[in-house]
Amino acid sequence: MDLGPFDADNSVSCRLSSHIPDVCKTEDCCLGIDEAGRGPVLGPMVYGICFCPVSKKDDLKDLKVADSKTLTETERENLFQKLDEARSYIGWALQILSPNTISTSMLQRSKYNLNALSHDTAIGLVQYALDSGVQLTEVFVDTVGPAEKYEEKLSQLFPGVKVTVRPKADSLFPVVSAASICAKVARDRVVKGWNFAEQLGEVDSDYGSGYPNDPKTKAWLLKYLDPVFGYPQFVRFSWSTAQTLMDSKSVTVHWDDDDEDGEKAAQRQNNRSMLSYFSASSGANDQTPAHQPHRFFTDRRLKSLDAL
Amino acid sequence: MATRKKRTPNAQNDSWVVVAADSVIDSQKKNSDPAFVKLRNPSTDAASLYMFGSGDDQLYEVKAFEEDFHSWFLGQTVQQDGKLLFVTPMDPLYLILPYLIKSGKEGKFQPVDQVFIDEEFPACSRLLNCTRSLASLHHVAEEKEVGSLKFHRYSRDRTLNWLKKKVERTVIALKKRNISVGEGVKSTTYVRVKPESDHHEEDYLRYAHGLISEYISEDLSKALLQHLQLPELTSPKDTEPPLKKRKLSDKPVEAGEDYTKFNSADFARKPPKKMSAAQKSLAKVDKTGMKPMSSFFSPKVKAEKN
Amino acid sequence: MSCNSNVIRVLPPVGQEQRVPVHLMPCEIEHNGSAQVSEYFTATMKDRKHEKTVSFRGRGLKGQELSCPQGYTGLVLKEVNKPGSDQEDRTVRISSVFNKLTYWNLETPPNSDDTIVMAMDWPELAEAIHGPVDD
Repeated sequence: MDLGPFDADNSVSCRLSSHIPDVCKTEDCCLGIDEAGRGPVLGPMVYGICFCPVSKKDDLKDLKVADSKTLTETERENLFQKLDEARSYIGWALQILSPNTISTSMLQRSKYNLNALSHDTAIGLVQYALDSGVQLTEVFVDTVGPAEKYEEKLSQLFPGVKVTVRPKADSLFPVVSAASICAKVARDRVVKGWNFAEQLGEVDSDYGSGYPNDPKTKAWLLKYLDPVFGYPQFVRFSWSTAQTLMDSKSVTVHWDDDDEDGEKAAQRQNNRSMLSYFSASSGANDQTPAHQPHRFFTDRRLKSLDAL
Repeated sequence: MATRKKRTPNAQNDSWVVVAADSVIDSQKKNSDPAFVKLRNPSTDAASLYMFGSGDDQLYEVKAFEEDFHSWFLGQTVQQDGKLLFVTPMDPLYLILPYLIKSGKEGKFQPVDQVFIDEEFPACSRLLNCTRSLASLHHVAEEKEVGSLKFHRYSRDRTLNWLKKKVERTVIALKKRNISVGEGVKSTTYVRVKPESDHHEEDYLRYAHGLISEYISEDLSKALLQHLQLPELTSPKDTEPPLKKRKLSDKPVEAGEDYTKFNSADFARKPPKKMSAAQKSLAKVDKTGMKPMSSFFSPKVKAEKN
Repeated sequence: MSCNSNVIRVLPPVGQEQRVPVHLMPCEIEHNGSAQVSEYFTATMKDRKHEKTVSFRGRGLKGQELSCPQGYTGLVLKEVNKPGSDQEDRTVRISSVFNKLTYWNLETPPNSDDTIVMAMDWPELAEAIHGPVDD
């Protein structure tokens, strides 16, 4: 697994993938999807797919892949090693959603929530497999949300593929366990070797699990809080843990959409110039009607000053 | 969940970001420093900020670009106030003119330095020190020389001709800069439909007249409009046709209803039951423009997932 | 009479003028003073196609560089010991200079309709309005 492409720019989302086994292009294949690092306030969320011919399902089982959460880090690394050795019939691909992508998406003017982001990412990976020529017939998905609706959505998007969405699918289907191992290994490696784009000197890498309730993570968040910038891009600004700490310890920042919901913001975007015209003229009406600056100036937000 | 924080006003700002004509700094190489001064704004009659260059030889206008919700990073510092000041060379005649007009009411030729007496703005006498001032007085006044002394008397005809030239210069600059002058409202959805070349010459003249009117009294602005042979528009305050504005408000209040069934008295009294789509959008627009105070206290809703 | 008589003198920089990077941010930051701009902000800026990108407080910004108009220079003025009463004259000093600034939009790609870009029209128009006319 070469994390180089992500390390080169860890502010954006990045796809990593194995070589596509030839057998996967000729035989019917099953594919599993799982994610790692949904909850932590630090680091990326990684989406993984793993696929192999349906005829090789038992071989996959024999590798003794299991839900990554029940394994130690060493066990996961070993299992990933085994998956890699089986590269003649097992392929994988990962989408690393950088913490910065998560922050900026969730805090976007028209909010893009984590569920939508997750679904779109999963769909993108399945599409990638199809585009690469993998003969998909079965897809197994692990989900934290309502399974039925998601299953319906995926079935519609990928006609001819049998889609199964299940909570805890990572412990039910070996191909999902394999995907979860790939995702978790990548997430661990990225977090461990996080390449801070900020010039912070030597950064304490003892950030614990990254979960907001981990005392080590909490201590780290307190230590690396900047009064103006808040946090490095390693932190998910959209998490309430980060927001609360910034609210109490950093300077206040105001945005023009602070009190808008997404829909209103989108509308405001469309009406921006129109709106400014009306607010400018209504503002002038409140004052003495004597002088209203020419629109050359109001359009450009230029005005005279009466004091410095 | 984070709570929405009230905006606290900027405590005494002591730093400004300025884009200034190079002559402002070049002039510093001479002996005296440039200085901001308050002078009487010829259009509003109130105080506005201007600048005199070194030795008062050049007058500058100060305009502030200011948008809500902006701040600066300046090197390794933050400046809360996001204003950007423009300091641009200004024709001192615009500021001299109101004083000349006032003294000209007596119809006498006067020594020009006696004209500049303004208790509120004593710095106004410095306007005469500007290199261009005395040399260009003839654009707005008749001159008489008696021996070594010069006397001036305001001339409306000369002034209007001078202003007309100003308008013409401005039209050229507007065209060169490709500035959109035709539409009453600039909107990304409407504006680019009409190519700039289609703009009527009159649109340019009116726009330029509107710009020059920022520097003269309303009275003189109207006279200039006549001098340019442009008819006054129905809305005297607006020098441009308020096209879009009218479109919104002139729409029938409720297009679906047949008003002919009411007699005129009924019609006048009857308040509209529902707002039309146009009115609704107008109401929405207005609200968004003027943030209600209460909004600063309402809880911040941010997507959240732990 | 009072404060209208006041002038604000503009002093030249002390010694060699300092050049600083200048960013116009699309948010109000309730702070006046030092910040680790180069460490957190400049270091994470990216040059993408047609625009620069960065994020601030978890929000995505898109921006571009804007040069000062021809014949113009950017100045940062700082007040020199503000007088106690408003009867006294004030003084500001040029603390640094710049020839270009970077302005940032919240999520919106920079374009020629951005108000700051349009505001840069002003010096050329001002020259037309205020330049000397022929006799």
